[in-house]
Amino acid sequence: MDTQSIETSGRFDPANGAVTSVVTSDATRDVTRSPMSPTTELRPAHGKSSRRLSRDEADALGRELDAIRAEVLADLGERDVAHIRAVMKAAGAASIAGRTLLHFGIDPVTFVLGTSALGLAKILENMEIGHNVMHGQYDWTGDPALRGDTYEWDIVCPGDDWRSSHNYEHHTFTNILGKDRDIGYQFLRVADEQPWELRHLAQPVTALALAVFFEWGVGMHDLRVAETTRGEQSLAELGRRSGPFLAKAGWQIAKDYVVFPLLAGPNAPRVLAGNVLANVARNLWTFSVIFCGHFPEGVRVYSEEETKDESRGEWYVRQINGSANLEGSRWMHLMTGHLSHQIEHHLFPDLPAARYPEIAPRVREICERYGQVYATGSLPTQLADVAKRIVRLSWPRRAKRAPSAAVA
Amino acid sequence: MLSTIERRLSATLRDARRTAARRFFVDRQTGLWRSELAWLGVRSRDHARVTAVLEETPDTRTLVLEPPRGWVPHRPGQWTRVEIELAGVRTSRCYSLSSAPHDPELRITVKRVANGRVSGRLHTLRVGDALRISPAEGQFVLPTHPVRLLLLSGGSGITPMRSMWRALLQSDAADVVIVHHARTRADVIFAAELEALATRRGFRVVVRLDDEHARPGEGGFDVGALRTAVPDLEEREVFVCGPPAMMRRVEAMGLPRLHVERFAAMPRPAADPDATEVLVTLGGHASPGGRTIAARTDGALLDQLEAAGERPASGCRMGLCRTCSCLKRSGTVRHAISGAISDAPDEIIQLCVSVPCTDVELGPIVQHAVHAAPDERASERTLDPREKLARRSAQKVDPR
Repeated sequence: MDTQSIETSGRFDPANGAVTSVVTSDATRDVTRSPMSPTTELRPAHGKSSRRLSRDEADALGRELDAIRAEVLADLGERDVAHIRAVMKAAGAASIAGRTLLHFGIDPVTFVLGTSALGLAKILENMEIGHNVMHGQYDWTGDPALRGDTYEWDIVCPGDDWRSSHNYEHHTFTNILGKDRDIGYQFLRVADEQPWELRHLAQPVTALALAVFFEWGVGMHDLRVAETTRGEQSLAELGRRSGPFLAKAGWQIAKDYVVFPLLAGPNAPRVLAGNVLANVARNLWTFSVIFCGHFPEGVRVYSEEETKDESRGEWYVRQINGSANLEGSRWMHLMTGHLSHQIEHHLFPDLPAARYPEIAPRVREICERYGQVYATGSLPTQLADVAKRIVRLSWPRRAKRAPSAAVA
Repeated sequence: MLSTIERRLSATLRDARRTAARRFFVDRQTGLWRSELAWLGVRSRDHARVTAVLEETPDTRTLVLEPPRGWVPHRPGQWTRVEIELAGVRTSRCYSLSSAPHDPELRITVKRVANGRVSGRLHTLRVGDALRISPAEGQFVLPTHPVRLLLLSGGSGITPMRSMWRALLQSDAADVVIVHHARTRADVIFAAELEALATRRGFRVVVRLDDEHARPGEGGFDVGALRTAVPDLEEREVFVCGPPAMMRRVEAMGLPRLHVERFAAMPRPAADPDATEVLVTLGGHASPGGRTIAARTDGALLDQLEAAGERPASGCRMGLCRTCSCLKRSGTVRHAISGAISDAPDEIIQLCVSVPCTDVELGPIVQHAVHAAPDERASERTLDPREKLARRSAQKVDPR
């Protein structure tokens, strides 16, 4: 459908492929002037945009990525198991240490230490362990403790909901408007292509609230509350979907906010406060990492139309263009559950995440060779980018020009 | 009546306790710490500990094991599934228990197979090491009432026999003939014990060595020699375990009361030049509409599914343990060992010994559910209803 609009706007020339930043910026202005359409093509990334690949090119790229995948699969072994078990042990130990400090300490120092340790444990469990194990990244080990299809993580979102809404919907239909319910989680406007509504005016505030209560957002995501209010889902279905969520949330509340505080006796308020802070810290961190994975400038959304009968290679191309990486130290990568390698994760969601840093240079080289933008930046840069976008898109009219167009 | 209520109540309580434990101690972490503790020396429910390693022959070792906590005594002749981790992957093999139920310790006797990864690893175990073993299973067991017996074995097939004869030593009314085949005198496992046994009343021991007794070109086992050695063969309850060639010859004798235990890994069906390609459809697959795989009519389904990237649960890979049991919705498969044909719809088949003959449609495939772990219930909950049905009917069909 959009082939025509692309050609008329002169954004690419499939024949020579290369696109200059000047052309791109012109294209940006074209887009900003054109009437909003849910099928608008391609948004530029920091003065560059991905070259449009023919199906043959996309499939060739896909074959190169498949080769990397096969290589990693053949190499899986003791090292991967040792890694995830070490992280599990570290998270377990941090959680025990944190809870002990909160329960038995009386001074502010042990409070800060205990809360930090518990927060660290929750982040590791949520990201490197829970998210990755539930993707089935360690299913090949046959170890029941590492099984993806039964793992239940330490947040209010039931594992089964996550497995269907994230592993299947989000990873299959990544960044397809109308199919990927993770685009703005159905209530934030994070892409120009999403039609503006009055409630988006409040989204800088709602986004902050989501950051603080992120696990609740994730937990309620699959209840489809927005769809119910729009009348697309019956109340009965909402009730059916709420069951597992309420049960899981009940257990989580009982654990962190009732039982552990009560066990501490007179120290109950301190334990309660520590648990709340640890959960909030984890929420802020996971929110930041995940929003930086798909919503910075340069990441594009797709229409259902253009992804119809997409080949495997084209699916790979969409994953590359729909994700953005974070740069940082080895420890930062671990704390993000290696979602700082969001591109590699979206290409190979079932490879052990600790392998992403190893294959990243090769993935990047392939992207460069095929003229695909490999979006990456530091956490503060990307987060600022996301914040700017959320504020900008809360208004019905788009900003005069996208920040990236300023270079032209 | 009261006991039923009590049982139900205690089951409910157990479930509640388990759920609470799962929710409070971050799920699987408990499993992880359990195996960590097992290596540190804490007795666990699924780990046995090596307390001694005995050299039986140049290539065979007995691992003497402290049984896991809560071990239910086996019946003489039963086997256990031993599970170890190879390159991060849990791998299991079935081994007969060579100790008698009344022995204070468990024993498995392991012959090192050329290029055998599991047996090779088991031979590296030392005193104090832990290994995961499953509850004892198997129908190759000594009758509970006294009967006249022939225990016929070849090579490492003697291991379940030791469990049996040690159990028989407990009773007075034994009438047992033990016929064992080995390649050379040095290869006789439990040689000293066999010698001592020969002097016991009610026991007769015949050891046949390939290099001394067999006529050249005859191989080890000879039906005529067996009939000469045991003239009242037909009146005896016969238990046989040994190499495939020997087993085939014994089965061909048509003995009235024959019990067979196969422990050689299933011979891979020879590549058949006439084999055709068929389609295998997997139900309940993550991708909508299931997945269809091209398979050949000369290989077991399990191998072919694995080659296609699937990871079905599997255990012994020789038709014993039924870990890989799966509902076959339609199509025809052949049992690789018995040659039995399953062509009726909705039959339970074992993937490891089923060779497709036509296009086959399978029900949902259980993924590597190693053995009954604390998570069994959780996985039951996430199964789709059809699969639960399949599991239930599997239990019904299975005489065990």
